[in-house]
Amino acid sequence: MKTIDAKAKDLKAVNNLLRKSVNGQPVAVKNVSRVHGLAAGLKHGQVIVQGNAGDYLGALNDGGTIKVTKNAGKYVADNMTSGTIIIEGNTDYGAGQYCYGGAVIVRGNAGDFTATMNKGAAIIVCGDVGNEVGTYMLKGDVIVVGNAGENLANYLIRGQVYIGGKWKSLGNNARVEPLTDADTAKLRAYFETYQIKADPTAFKKIVAASEKPFYK
Amino acid sequence: MAVVGAFCVSVNREACINARMPGKCATCAEICPHGVYALDTVTGEMEIVNYNACVGCRICSEFCPANAIRINPAESEYVSRYPWTLAAVEEIHYKAQTGEYLLRGFGTQGPTPHFDMITVVPSQIASAAPLDKYREECDMEVVIGEDTCKEPIRLQVPFVWAAMSFGALSKEAKLALAIGAAMAGIASNTGEGGLVPEEAYFAKGYTDKERTHKKWEPGGYMIIQWSTGRWGVSVDYINAGDAVEVKIGQGAKPGMGGHLLGAKVTEDVARVRGVPIGSDALSPCRYYDVQSLEDMKRMVAFLRDATNYRVPILFKLGPSRPYADVAACIEAGADAISIDGLTGGTGCSPDIVTQGVGIPTIACIPPAVQALKDYGVHHRVKLIALGGIRSGLDAFKAMAMGADAAGFGSAAEIAMGCRVCYACQKGNCPYGITSPKLECRARLDPIEVGKRLANFIHASAEEVKILTMLSGHRRTVDLSPEDLRAMDLNTAAITGLKLIGYERPLTMWEPGYQPALTVSPNGNGHKKPGKKQGTRGKRQRVKTL
Repeated sequence: MKTIDAKAKDLKAVNNLLRKSVNGQPVAVKNVSRVHGLAAGLKHGQVIVQGNAGDYLGALNDGGTIKVTKNAGKYVADNMTSGTIIIEGNTDYGAGQYCYGGAVIVRGNAGDFTATMNKGAAIIVCGDVGNEVGTYMLKGDVIVVGNAGENLANYLIRGQVYIGGKWKSLGNNARVEPLTDADTAKLRAYFETYQIKADPTAFKKIVAASEKPFYK
Repeated sequence: MAVVGAFCVSVNREACINARMPGKCATCAEICPHGVYALDTVTGEMEIVNYNACVGCRICSEFCPANAIRINPAESEYVSRYPWTLAAVEEIHYKAQTGEYLLRGFGTQGPTPHFDMITVVPSQIASAAPLDKYREECDMEVVIGEDTCKEPIRLQVPFVWAAMSFGALSKEAKLALAIGAAMAGIASNTGEGGLVPEEAYFAKGYTDKERTHKKWEPGGYMIIQWSTGRWGVSVDYINAGDAVEVKIGQGAKPGMGGHLLGAKVTEDVARVRGVPIGSDALSPCRYYDVQSLEDMKRMVAFLRDATNYRVPILFKLGPSRPYADVAACIEAGADAISIDGLTGGTGCSPDIVTQGVGIPTIACIPPAVQALKDYGVHHRVKLIALGGIRSGLDAFKAMAMGADAAGFGSAAEIAMGCRVCYACQKGNCPYGITSPKLECRARLDPIEVGKRLANFIHASAEEVKILTMLSGHRRTVDLSPEDLRAMDLNTAAITGLKLIGYERPLTMWEPGYQPALTVSPNGNGHKKPGKKQGTRGKRQRVKTL
């Protein structure tokens, strides 16, 4: 496996090397905690970040697979359209915002405003999440194995939030709905695919109270 | 509901088809966006049921097959009844009845400081001699991103279309703008509603996706907007055009996001935006994925990277604190900055915001130019003036004040046929410009309207050329505030231009004057007491976004 050392390299240099190297073999990169926008707009290939990643990791990802062995900064997978991003540790504020598709898996905890304006991605957090998770979501799945903060699923329009733990408060236009067999099967499939230990039947499902909330 | 009560509606009953033959014609009732007319379904007679709702757009006059309708301005109530004008009274009644505030489209109504109180100073004997518009050349080219990207934009004339989204405008109107841009060699803009597939190659002058058949010369550019709602955005989307514009705000509703009412969210629009059909599509007022200026720099960096350093990055600002906002854009790495004044337009906005929030375009330009000069990037980072620009004359004045180019939004809609009825949000535009309805859109032929738009640009460019050359310049980049004079004290105070007769700027604009032009670290715009104020000409770094 080829390894790129990003020390003393800027975003342009690192991403150029990445794009040239991702054909076929997975590519490892190290010392990228200060590189923001790593692998932006990646169309294919597999990238393994050894250590911590900076902000905007995998922004506009469109088919690439990115794995981070430790933590990632803010706005992981910003505006991703397809592909998979797996964070073995924690993420900061705003993971999985504006995503149209693909999957983001955070093995640890995630910060506030995770999955804001999600438009079709699966965003899975194995630990706890902060406030305002799933705000203004239009499509897709947000799965929180642990607990959530305030205003969970605020102004949800479509899509669903599944949560295994507790939440401090629900947001506007959100309500709890019983899990269906299809929901349980979907969660089980996610958990098997991404090797997550959780009981799908223990989750609660949050959906939009109305698809057309009136804004005052 | 834009209640004005400022117009008298009169119908010549001898000419009116309905008056002569009840039930035979109801065009005025069908076409009026404000319900001034109504058809009595029993008798078949037309009636004027709401004089007060008339906004003076005269669409009814234009569509009346018998030319029977006249709309005349009423005597101004601002003398006899202000502040309790009919408009104010009706607005209060409306709110009391419905519990809702007013929404409307288009832009600001009524007088605001504008370009009209600025005059152009021609060359005579004491300055460089005027040039001959008919026999000499004038360089009006504007290049954006020359030093920063592989494929800079080269506008042949110093104009762009302001950003207007698919959804706010019909597909036909978007295509007409792209064709008009191609025919005039200027840039169109997606707005924040995603890309209509044909838009990108139409703007370049091609009729086919493969770009093998070029029909419209010289070909223009397509600016791809990146905004807070991120509708229809992907890596392919940002690579589909010739520039990426980061939208921060807009003139008609600074501090608010895009506002597309459910009536205009059709199947096509819903597909692009990813919202349910008929649901309001409201963009967030801010970027959820930007919390600081540092974040914005990083966002610009990855946008450049994801476009392979090929295209320039533009910013679009609303009219807030032009000096500090422009400085922030420069620090974030902008190649060009559009600043949209109070008189900028919109497809839909709360009336109070359109009418009462933001500062006029002529007040935005001087501080914006000062920021560019303080950072040493004036004319390198391009400044594009937006907001109520109606003609080559307005554009010339903006450029002489320091802008590099000007943008047409409302004027482009008017060039397409719009008569300014202030009801864009309703989706019933009889010209098919802002309507999603097929029967309205059928009236808009993108190619014919594209030609009208190109004609408008050609005429406006000639106007800029005339004014540039009679001012003694061969290049628009050489224009300066010395080519202008303010015609009243207010305008001189707002703009820093020399006052007619006085022949110098007002004292407050003289070097050494200490204006408050920065945003404090806590973002409230106030300096701490006792702290030394910054001075004009001294670089003032922006601490917060």
